[in-house]
Amino acid sequence: MDSVVELEIPARPEFVGIARMAVGALAGIRPGLPYERIDDLRIVVSEACTSAIEALGEEGNLRLRCIDGPKTLEVRIEAPGAAFESAFPPDEPGPDVDSFRISLIRALVDDAELRSSTPGHTELCLILHRDAASTDGENLPV
Amino acid sequence: MDLGLDVKERNGWAVLSVQGEVDVYTAPQFREQLIQLVDQGQRSILVDLEGVEFLDSTGLGVLVGGLKRVRSHDGDLALVCTQRRILKVLEITGLTKVFTIHDSVDAAVGGNGQG
Repeated sequence: MDSVVELEIPARPEFVGIARMAVGALAGIRPGLPYERIDDLRIVVSEACTSAIEALGEEGNLRLRCIDGPKTLEVRIEAPGAAFESAFPPDEPGPDVDSFRISLIRALVDDAELRSSTPGHTELCLILHRDAASTDGENLPV
Repeated sequence: MDLGLDVKERNGWAVLSVQGEVDVYTAPQFREQLIQLVDQGQRSILVDLEGVEFLDSTGLGVLVGGLKRVRSHDGDLALVCTQRRILKVLEITGLTKVFTIHDSVDAAVGGNGQG
């Protein structure tokens, strides 16, 4: 069964740590994600929130919806406008912070997808697949 | 969320030890400290990342900015890092080829710190 946690934070730098902490804590509840992968997700959430904060000029809110299921952990981050352009640019960026951001997002989650959501908003969907072997281990006799 | 920044002089190197989480919120302090070191005339800067619990692209941008700044004055900026989680971020972004990375402050200042 899926567990859903929603969090809304002001699009300001001091709140990015709260988003990371909440997602990291949720990811650790259900077995199947090694600590290293949770750490990866925390980095990607930080990158996505930072991208939105920079794009929005620290105005507005970011809405995070975390869906913790038996096979996947999905984090959807919704923000007004084209808030994730530095994470998903139309062109390949030069060697700067944005290129680091894109490299990290591509490397550290299994899937990342940009979607349009409610009118005037975009949503970045980040997906981690749970390790099949570890998930199966939940059912082993102790 | 606090960022700890501590500067010590070791064998001709300015050793900047960083503790805590480096992200969009704390990176400005880190950037300011590196700018200050270069402005004070430091040309050999060693950033000790052993106390860093989290580092994202904003922190990487500060490190690269610091490296560019000190190199423009014919200096260098090296790192101390053995933490797998931080090395992974440096590897993914190709920065292990850009920075000299040492296993310890002693190894760094002992080998190159005669200036």
